[in-house]
Amino acid sequence: MQLPFDPLLVAILAPLAAALALLAPLPDRAAKVVAGLGFLLPALLGLHTWWHFPADLGGADYAFRSLYDTGLRGSFGIALHLGLNGISMPMFMMAGVVGLAAGLYAIQSKAERPRLYLALLLIMQGGLMGVFASIDIFFFYFFHEFALIATFILVGVWGGRDRGYAAMKMTIYLTLGAMLSLLGLIAIYVKSGAETFDLIALREEIAVHGLSGTVQNYAFGLLMFGLGILVSLFPFHTWAPLGYHAAPSSVSMLHAGVLKKFGLYGFVQIALPLLPAGAAAWAPALAWLALGNVVIIGLVAIAQRDLKQMIGYGSVMHVGYGFLGVACVNALGAGGVVLFMVAHGLSVSLLFLLATSVHHRTGTFDMDDMGGLAQKAPVLAAFFLTAILASIGLPGPGLLNFWGELTIFMAIYAHAQWMVVPALLGVVISAIYGLRAMGKVFYGQPSAAFLKHQEKNAVADLRWSERIPALVLLVTLVGFGVWPRAITEPLNKTLAEVYPQVEAVSPTPAAPAVASLPE
Amino acid sequence: MFAPQLALTLLLTPLVSAVLIGAFFRRQPAIAKALSLTAATAIAVLAGQLIFATEDFTAAAEWLTIGPLTVKLGFLLDPLSKLLLAVVALVGLLVHVFSLGYMAHEQNQARFFGCLSLFMFSMTGLTLADDLIMLFIFWELVGLSSFLLINFYFERPSAVAASKKAFIVNRLGDFGFLLGIILAYWAFGSITLADIAARIGTEPSVVATSIALLIFCGAVGKSGQLPLHVWLPDAMEGPTPVSALIHAATMVAAGIFLLCRVSVLMTPGALDVILWVGIATALFAGFTALGQRDLKRILAYSTISQLGFMVAAFALGSLVALKSGADASLAGITGGVAAAMFHLTTHAFFKALLFLGSGSILHGTHHEGDIYRLGGLMKKMPVTFITFTIGTLALIGCPFLAGFYSKDAILILAYQHSQPAFYCLVLGAFLTAFYMTRLWTTTFLGKPRSEGADHAHESGPLILVPLIVLSIGSILGGFAWFYPEALRVVPDAALALLHGASDAEKAAASTAMIAGTAAFIIGAVLGALLYRPGSARDFLQTRLPVVYQLFEKRLYIDAAYDWYVAKVQQRFALLLNYIDLIGLSGIVVRGIVAGGTGLAGLAARAMHTGSLHNYVYWFLAGAVLLWAIATGVL
Repeated sequence: MQLPFDPLLVAILAPLAAALALLAPLPDRAAKVVAGLGFLLPALLGLHTWWHFPADLGGADYAFRSLYDTGLRGSFGIALHLGLNGISMPMFMMAGVVGLAAGLYAIQSKAERPRLYLALLLIMQGGLMGVFASIDIFFFYFFHEFALIATFILVGVWGGRDRGYAAMKMTIYLTLGAMLSLLGLIAIYVKSGAETFDLIALREEIAVHGLSGTVQNYAFGLLMFGLGILVSLFPFHTWAPLGYHAAPSSVSMLHAGVLKKFGLYGFVQIALPLLPAGAAAWAPALAWLALGNVVIIGLVAIAQRDLKQMIGYGSVMHVGYGFLGVACVNALGAGGVVLFMVAHGLSVSLLFLLATSVHHRTGTFDMDDMGGLAQKAPVLAAFFLTAILASIGLPGPGLLNFWGELTIFMAIYAHAQWMVVPALLGVVISAIYGLRAMGKVFYGQPSAAFLKHQEKNAVADLRWSERIPALVLLVTLVGFGVWPRAITEPLNKTLAEVYPQVEAVSPTPAAPAVASLPE
Repeated sequence: MFAPQLALTLLLTPLVSAVLIGAFFRRQPAIAKALSLTAATAIAVLAGQLIFATEDFTAAAEWLTIGPLTVKLGFLLDPLSKLLLAVVALVGLLVHVFSLGYMAHEQNQARFFGCLSLFMFSMTGLTLADDLIMLFIFWELVGLSSFLLINFYFERPSAVAASKKAFIVNRLGDFGFLLGIILAYWAFGSITLADIAARIGTEPSVVATSIALLIFCGAVGKSGQLPLHVWLPDAMEGPTPVSALIHAATMVAAGIFLLCRVSVLMTPGALDVILWVGIATALFAGFTALGQRDLKRILAYSTISQLGFMVAAFALGSLVALKSGADASLAGITGGVAAAMFHLTTHAFFKALLFLGSGSILHGTHHEGDIYRLGGLMKKMPVTFITFTIGTLALIGCPFLAGFYSKDAILILAYQHSQPAFYCLVLGAFLTAFYMTRLWTTTFLGKPRSEGADHAHESGPLILVPLIVLSIGSILGGFAWFYPEALRVVPDAALALLHGASDAEKAAASTAMIAGTAAFIIGAVLGALLYRPGSARDFLQTRLPVVYQLFEKRLYIDAAYDWYVAKVQQRFALLLNYIDLIGLSGIVVRGIVAGGTGLAGLAARAMHTGSLHNYVYWFLAGAVLLWAIATGVL
């Protein structure tokens, strides 16, 4: 189906236009409708690009391509070049879906100054769509900053406990991370000699001339620490649980679910293909730090009493798998990272959404002051259990998470055999903290504090205004889990074309040859 | 209908039932029951179709391809999966019927039956899986169903703790299982059982032994072998029909099925380990059962012990086959596979019968589960008494009942392979007879010792009919002619061991039979003499309190785990949390940020004094400036 407009540009501009419209004096109901449309359109367009993703597209090509000169093309080689390949399409689609869920949840929330709140969320959403739609790496970076600034303001103004400190800490860390990444990107830009930020042109240029080992080493180093800080690589993760805890739920959903994926996506789409030798040199260090995420932060998550903090640490723990996939420096690992990012984005935002729904009913995030909530809110309990099981990669609700993790485990074993053992420990650790939370919040008898809270507040089950965004996430997660080929077919093609240089440096080991079987 | 579609329909029917109940009929228990029962009946009918009217087949469709890794969704129907499918379909249907009566007065029946359907889906998927990944997926799903049903009474803290324990302990086993799958993939280039069987080398290697032992880890978790058995007795917190179906007849036996499925991977080194884990489990659980007072807990330890027998049977038979150089292939049923699967089948009959019987007792006595508070139920619950007695006799190896033959096959294999294993297993058989006699005399004979037992009444037909059907299986399940032609491969192979081919084997068979019968007689008689009917106190407790306490406390293994979780793991986690809060965020990273990175450090320090808005303004100003320079405005 041919749309009469550019779906990618509209997906970026629609939320921004809606944000602008919200500043006009509309009646409340109309404002909600406008905001809803601003979130709905990117989601629909995301699904559209997935459904109509051309099956005959070459692996190195981009679908839905368009180029807009912003006046920077002549002097800096910067242009708004939009398009999707097999790596970015799943991310673009996921960003739209998570945005829709976060938006719907925000519309029904009782935030103060709701219009400004929604407007900033819409700005964030516009930036997110732009990150994954950009072929030009300047704009890839620009849209990320764009969304990040909205995030800082949202946390600083609408945040919960410790919002000032959390917003400041997030700002410092993320600015530092973004600066280092920018330096890395600029290094690629300068040293490639391509005089353009266009990823396709850069790739072609580097394929011919290549980058020297030294350049690759320091550029990848900059990106590793820069993107690493953005994705909460151990030990630069401490901003994350704090920030997510302070952030309003829709912001946590968008940030932990989507915006944070900027870093991992940057590795898979840009850093690994352009700097394979640098990646191979840094891989051992990256793998060690990633194991820190999985094992150490996993154990820290077990120690949490605060539900939202625990989910934050759990999310930090799981991105360790993403880094491990990157550290394999081959197509198998990178493919696993893409599957993992989609799954993690959907499941972690579902958890943040439901944690806030729990908070509405208990008045606290302290798990010791909850208990027995399943008796009052069985539907919420069922949703929450599903989300927990998905996030710990249990095949079933978390089939997509399982595929991502399985692929990464397979890649890790081929990369460094022993490393799969500590990586797999995460499977047990996540089950421990996930089920412990489930028991403390929902099962057993209500704690004294919760009983006291119930005297004054009636506890109702999950309302439809909360169920619908949760279902949007859940249905997408389970759907792609059951039918992963919908993502992996274009992904495989792109990896086959984009990763030859990577494979030349660090090949995916071939499994033993398939002997012909007796019929 | 084509066979793969038939299998797929069979698989998806209970899933549809579970999803419908979960989504629409949470508040309509009548509809939920009807749906769930319909699904169970459909499984039985379709399974019949698959077993009796379908040739063995394997079929697979591509599920996920990423780089060189391909995962397929496939079915494998062969004598092994046919037998387990028959057990699952039959016991599943009976437990559904039983539950209609047993759960009639409970709250949340819709949830119960929804979870039961989910379990049937997971278990049939496990049975029909043709590769390791698919086995693993359904393996996790049966674990999930088990979790949901153990904490069916989730307002009880004990049920919550038990379900959590079950899930986490199983995940510990699955850690090894998944590692084994990854190793197997890189060793054989495939995770399909048929491919692995075709590619396995004849020479056992360290890798092969590791793969076998790692996959065995999964079985250790699910089938309650030492040291991961601790979750199974606690799992009795779930409703009794669940204990019968999941925690006695089918799911816990999945570990045995898994071993048989991957029997081609086995090496002598791995089998030796598996053998002694099985024997140690059989003996440990037998002793521990003597120190328990709860009806269902005693049966749970008995289940663990019998699973130990099955594991040992598998290892013994495979070792004998390896020694004799028999051709090991996916299609071939070795003595080990046959003996283990045969005992699995008979055990499914009599252990499901015993659990459902204890369910009938709990139902009739208003949930009085302490055997020393029961007593005198023989007259008050005659049908339950007779069927329970049949189940007991079958379990303890009374000649001509089902358990006698399947246990005999195991003892013969042990006698052929190793004397120590043989003596240990005979001791295990003796213990079985001993603790079951204790249970039986205390529960049914003498006088009622509590109000619940005094007012006991016989259960209704929905409860009694499944008991009677299972009794028939427990009586006749040891004879090959009891099984339809399509299912006879395994019983035939197991019973062939009893007859023996050579003179030496014949001698071994008769010795083992004499020893097994002696263990049964001595155990039962000694049990009847020492545990006098009507006594309110335990013989062992009065005479040997130290020993009794050791058994009662389950050799302190559970306590050791509790200590580890509370004192080691939790404290270590808290310590790391403290370091994370103070050390990393406070000193190390801030130090790096402030000192190490030049420009970034400066910016960060500037931020300490400024406010959030400053940053925003600076960024916007910078962006505008950049734009202005680039486009030539400035």
